[in-house]
Amino acid sequence: MTAEDTRATTRPAPTAASAAIPDPRPTPLARARDPLTVVALVAAALLVLPLFLDQFRLNLFAQYLCYAIVAIGIALAWGRGGMLTLGHGVYFGLGGYALAMHLTLARVAEDPMAQGGLPDFMVWSGLETLPLLWRPFANPAFALFAVVAVPGLVAALLGWSVFRQRVRGAYFAILNQALAAAFVILLVGQQHLTGGTNGLTDFPTFAGNDLYSPEAQWVVYVIVVVTTALVYLMFRHVAGSRYGSLLVAVRDGEDRVRFLGYNPTWVKTLAYALSAMAAGLAGALFVPVMGIISPEMLGVVPSITFVLAVAIGGRYSIAGAAVGAVVMNAAQTTFSESFAGGWIYLQGLLFVVVIVFAPRGLAGVVQSTTAALQRARRARATGGTPDSTHRTSDTPQGTDASGSPR
Amino acid sequence: MTHPLLSLSGVRVVFGEFTAIDGIDLTVDEGELRFLIGPNGAGKTTLVDVVTGRTRPTSGTVTFAGQPIHGRGEHRIVRAGIGRTFQTSVVFEELTVLENIDLAAHFRLGPLALLRRRRGVTPTVGGVLERTGLAPLAGAPAGTLSHGQRQWLEIAMLLAQGPRLLLLDEPVAGMSHTERERTGELLTEIAADHTVVVIEHDMEFLRRYARDVTVLHEGRVLTEGTVSQVQADPRVQEVYLGRSQRTATVGDERDTLVPAANNEEG
Ligand SMILES: Nc1ncnc2c1ncn2[C@@H]1O[C@H](COP(=O)(O)OP(=O)(O)OP(=O)(O)O)[C@@H](O)[C@H]1O
Ligand SMILES: [Mg+2]
Repeated sequence: MTAEDTRATTRPAPTAASAAIPDPRPTPLARARDPLTVVALVAAALLVLPLFLDQFRLNLFAQYLCYAIVAIGIALAWGRGGMLTLGHGVYFGLGGYALAMHLTLARVAEDPMAQGGLPDFMVWSGLETLPLLWRPFANPAFALFAVVAVPGLVAALLGWSVFRQRVRGAYFAILNQALAAAFVILLVGQQHLTGGTNGLTDFPTFAGNDLYSPEAQWVVYVIVVVTTALVYLMFRHVAGSRYGSLLVAVRDGEDRVRFLGYNPTWVKTLAYALSAMAAGLAGALFVPVMGIISPEMLGVVPSITFVLAVAIGGRYSIAGAAVGAVVMNAAQTTFSESFAGGWIYLQGLLFVVVIVFAPRGLAGVVQSTTAALQRARRARATGGTPDSTHRTSDTPQGTDASGSPR
Repeated sequence: MTHPLLSLSGVRVVFGEFTAIDGIDLTVDEGELRFLIGPNGAGKTTLVDVVTGRTRPTSGTVTFAGQPIHGRGEHRIVRAGIGRTFQTSVVFEELTVLENIDLAAHFRLGPLALLRRRRGVTPTVGGVLERTGLAPLAGAPAGTLSHGQRQWLEIAMLLAQGPRLLLLDEPVAGMSHTERERTGELLTEIAADHTVVVIEHDMEFLRRYARDVTVLHEGRVLTEGTVSQVQADPRVQEVYLGRSQRTATVGDERDTLVPAANNEEG
């Protein structure tokens, strides 16, 4: 994915002094290259990885992919759209709880011991009938729909009202943080509805299948891998569309965009809602993978961790962000296995290093390296010195070189 | 067939204590090429800001094609058919020249259509690229353009919008002599089938390309007429005398939209 991604934030090189208008369409081969790479990676994840990883590690990898899906969404909203989404734990949680509520009800329905068809925590809280909020989640189709619809709707409402007031930058980031904090307080406080700090856990079945069997875990793994690939391709498409350019334009000059006849409010709201939907989907996938969803997985700290991974992977690159999430979480696991608690410092250090030395993240480093190699190759081919006046598409953009976070 | 396309009546703009526009009545007819001149701080840019919704008039009305437009949002005024350029050109540096123009040309598309893959160069965009001579630079990031090229890109974006009324705020400021000439020719070409209002300081440029001129001074219309009438007017001479050095200065910080927006991003 990383190598492919050099194209994600770059543009066709200026056709040297030719008077013809260059066709911006990539050749069919170039267009197919990205999906083909993704297919190859999916095949590798499904056919090769299982040869090396045991069930436990495979499950961990599925977890990382869930975080990668969140990262893909954040890369669109933050990298392309300039919205520092510091509260994506909320949307991850909304998606996760939506599915977990269904799985809980499915378990209760099959459990002859369950009192009044209620989950334990409701019985302990003194409830006698199923709360209205929970009822529609008995239907699996509704639950799956809610997984993306609820985060999307909440983000759209919030985004619309906030962006309309031209709230941006740090204010928006702080607002998101506050939202994440409030969400956790709500979840913990409404124990009878949410299971409180314990969250929702113990989901033995989905649609009548035993979720803990190795076969079911394998199916979950396949679903996670394929979903990640599809989400990636979809967001790549969005970023490459006219809307994707518009989003960058809004990021760099929201007020100017108005004079092009666009209303930046909907442009930003859509990107924010799309990224929330990706987070919701990731949260839902996370539930069968982890077997639990609880407030500690979606508060302020996890929300920041999502963004850190994207910063380190490279926020301007959709694939960079996804890879960043996988690498960061894998590193966390590895590191925590040997030095418990040390990870948080290492992560902080990494973040500082990236912000100072590589504001475009790992993806940026890969891009610059590829560009340098290409220049060297071209120079060798033409027998001349590297052409420094001819600015190529891979040149890091000036704004990023300043290192100022946007 | 001349009837007013744009008319301002009794427009006043007050910033705190300061009155930037002090009761302006102005009409621009369909098909007209109108030059707007005046010394620094006369209120020319503010007037364009009022028409395009960037600044709300403290009092007075702005009517475009029979519809009152004051108080509408900026993008809605563009949709009504008014386009503008900025005194300090503002383009999207990370997007290519082509992408900048392409965005300008497609604001009428809905969200779903915008989400589709862009296929080739549309005739409008291609035409504008050729007309402004930017075709060879189509694939270059706008951030790599020279000053003059950026001004042209702004004009190209304005043309791509296909507005009924074009407002150009000092389009030749800071351009070299040859660049000015090419811009003047382009302007004449555009004016043949558009209604255009141009703010310009440069007297030489004015003499060559202007027909009708409105002179602003301290937020009021000083006089209106043909270039020669206006030049012969002693009041105009007085206003411009002794200011000739200052009129050469360009670059108004308030017009720099992109950096302002960038600074606010977290
Ligand atoms: N937002 C604002 N707040 C306060 N004062 C303003 C604002 N905008 C403009 N002004 C003032 O209003 C006056 C008119 O400004 P305007 O930019 O319209 O002049 P101009 O005729 O375009 O001048 P120039 O030739 O320098 O571009 C100036 O004195 C300016 O300082
Ligand atoms: Mg001005």
